[in-house]
Amino acid sequence: MITRRAVTKLALDALTWLVLALMLAPILYLVLASLQDNLRLSTGEFDLFHPTFEAFQRMWRRVDYTHFLMNSMVISAVAALLATAFASTAGYALARFRFRGSRPYEVSVIGTQLVPGSMFLLPVFLGFIWLQQNTFLRFQDTRTGMVIVYTAFFTPVSIFLMRAFFVAIPRDLEDAARVDGCTHFGAFVRVVLPAAAPGIAATFVYAFLFAFDEVLFASQLTQDDARTLPIGIRLFLGAHSEQYAQLLAAGVVSTLPIMVAFFATQRWLVKGLTAGAVKG
Amino acid sequence: MAVTTEPTEPTRPAADGEGAEADDRSERDQPPRGRRWGRSLRSRRPRRKGGLQTLERTRLPYGLIAPAAIFMVLIHILPMIGGWILSLKRLNTFTFSQLFGAPWTGLENYRTILFDSDNALHRGFNQALRNTIVYTFWTVGLTLALGLGVALLLNRPIRGQRIIRTLMLTPWVVPSFVMATLWQFMWRSDVGVINDMLVDWTHLLDHRPIWLNGPNSLWAIVIPSVWRGIPLAMLIFLAGLQAIPEELLEAAEMDGAGPFRQFRYVTFPLLRPLFAVQLLFGVIYASYQFAVPYVMMGSNPGPHADLLMTLVVRESFSNNLVGFGAAASTLMMIGMLVWVAIWYGAFRRDLELAR
Repeated sequence: MITRRAVTKLALDALTWLVLALMLAPILYLVLASLQDNLRLSTGEFDLFHPTFEAFQRMWRRVDYTHFLMNSMVISAVAALLATAFASTAGYALARFRFRGSRPYEVSVIGTQLVPGSMFLLPVFLGFIWLQQNTFLRFQDTRTGMVIVYTAFFTPVSIFLMRAFFVAIPRDLEDAARVDGCTHFGAFVRVVLPAAAPGIAATFVYAFLFAFDEVLFASQLTQDDARTLPIGIRLFLGAHSEQYAQLLAAGVVSTLPIMVAFFATQRWLVKGLTAGAVKG
Repeated sequence: MAVTTEPTEPTRPAADGEGAEADDRSERDQPPRGRRWGRSLRSRRPRRKGGLQTLERTRLPYGLIAPAAIFMVLIHILPMIGGWILSLKRLNTFTFSQLFGAPWTGLENYRTILFDSDNALHRGFNQALRNTIVYTFWTVGLTLALGLGVALLLNRPIRGQRIIRTLMLTPWVVPSFVMATLWQFMWRSDVGVINDMLVDWTHLLDHRPIWLNGPNSLWAIVIPSVWRGIPLAMLIFLAGLQAIPEELLEAAEMDGAGPFRQFRYVTFPLLRPLFAVQLLFGVIYASYQFAVPYVMMGSNPGPHADLLMTLVVRESFSNNLVGFGAAASTLMMIGMLVWVAIWYGAFRRDLELAR
């Protein structure tokens, strides 16, 4: 009996490691392939013992990668910051208050997730063009326009994340502050927000991840000035040559900031995600 | 004794007669007694919340949701209404310069999509709808099944458990546009590593299939989506598994249930609410998938991998058929509402249990 259990355990352990290997294999392949040159990639023959960083050097010259990266970073960071700010007040309101209209508001926040992106994209696109023709406002193909769109687009999810964090904070904390003479808003700013700092960081990273990875709006609302990475990176596959090595190197470089941000806040992010999901 | 000090009783005994359990409320209301008792009971709720702060309490939440709500009205609600209006207009290449001033056409756009079998848009929509349903079915089904499987594996004690759990999340952290370009590279027919594996290394196939075109191309977008979706599903299921009390499984084992029956009758019923929530959002996100086919195959992924979103965006922006795009988006939204209704009917009981 004992040996049978041991065998089962060993087999399941081996399976776990195999699954992990399968999950990581494409990422490992991405890194290895980015260390080859275009000739080796186009013939499919890798030379793993002679990696070259050529692609990592060339990618900055071939396509205006710096421009795309800056656009992506700035737009995502500002949008995530605004979305987190809006979400922390709105999430707090939903976590602590039952007010007239709180239920419809909550439903409409979830409801936004049911609407296809193209439903917003078309009118927003036409609206941006209209504004450009009739006013001094420039939103089409500008960072400002993208920030506005992304802020609005990622606020609903952030609200639910923040709400889950606020629900987990004991009410006594604010009550104590209010007994000491704080207004309710003062208690929120001075006591609740600092206590929710991990949640705020997690929500920011989450919104940043989503904005950084957004393709639909970026593909139609930007041409050149505000081109972000997800669209710009495809320029490595031009009509004349396929710069696969540079493309993959650019993929590695694009992933790095996300990886760092994720693993730095992983503990809180995971907690927020699972808390939100377990609560429904 | 509690019976004799029933607060609603009109003729109550004197204060000394009240039980020791009498709370602060009765002490406060001692001097005026008799019929006044009822009134103070009625006014108890607002008083408890604190006289002056009642005003603040009613206004503060509105102030708190105002910024998010204003943005939502501007970028969600107004454009959505705009989208419905556009779907009733004939907005194409010829009328495009008029923007919102394009001529009305009633439900013509809807009729074209749904019933006009001579129209290429009708056929394109049906095809994209079929592809989207197949894509959603396999992506969500496989993601949830495999995510649950991996979660069960990782819920066992194993050496290096924490590092395995963390590393398992990495595919989810890779941005989907990087993931799509990477898989596009791996799917290449002539020198792609997947065909290397299938043909040269394992000899499972005797010829190198074409993945990014033709009938296989739907799988070329399903498999990367599943790969990237597993970590999140695993994470949520794992949190659910860890919340299951040990005693329940031990009790089941005592009663003679093997691992499979433990899973069938204890673990899975407890995970059902998590399963339900992931199914709901998984289907919504998969149905609106755009990034993977677009980055991997461009704005026209071909008849076998064209999803509703890629179709709508292509027709609206490349071919300027904005009216069609808006009508198709509205139909997609109605479809999603139907899905939510079905889902709610199927899982209502689980949601009540989870509360």
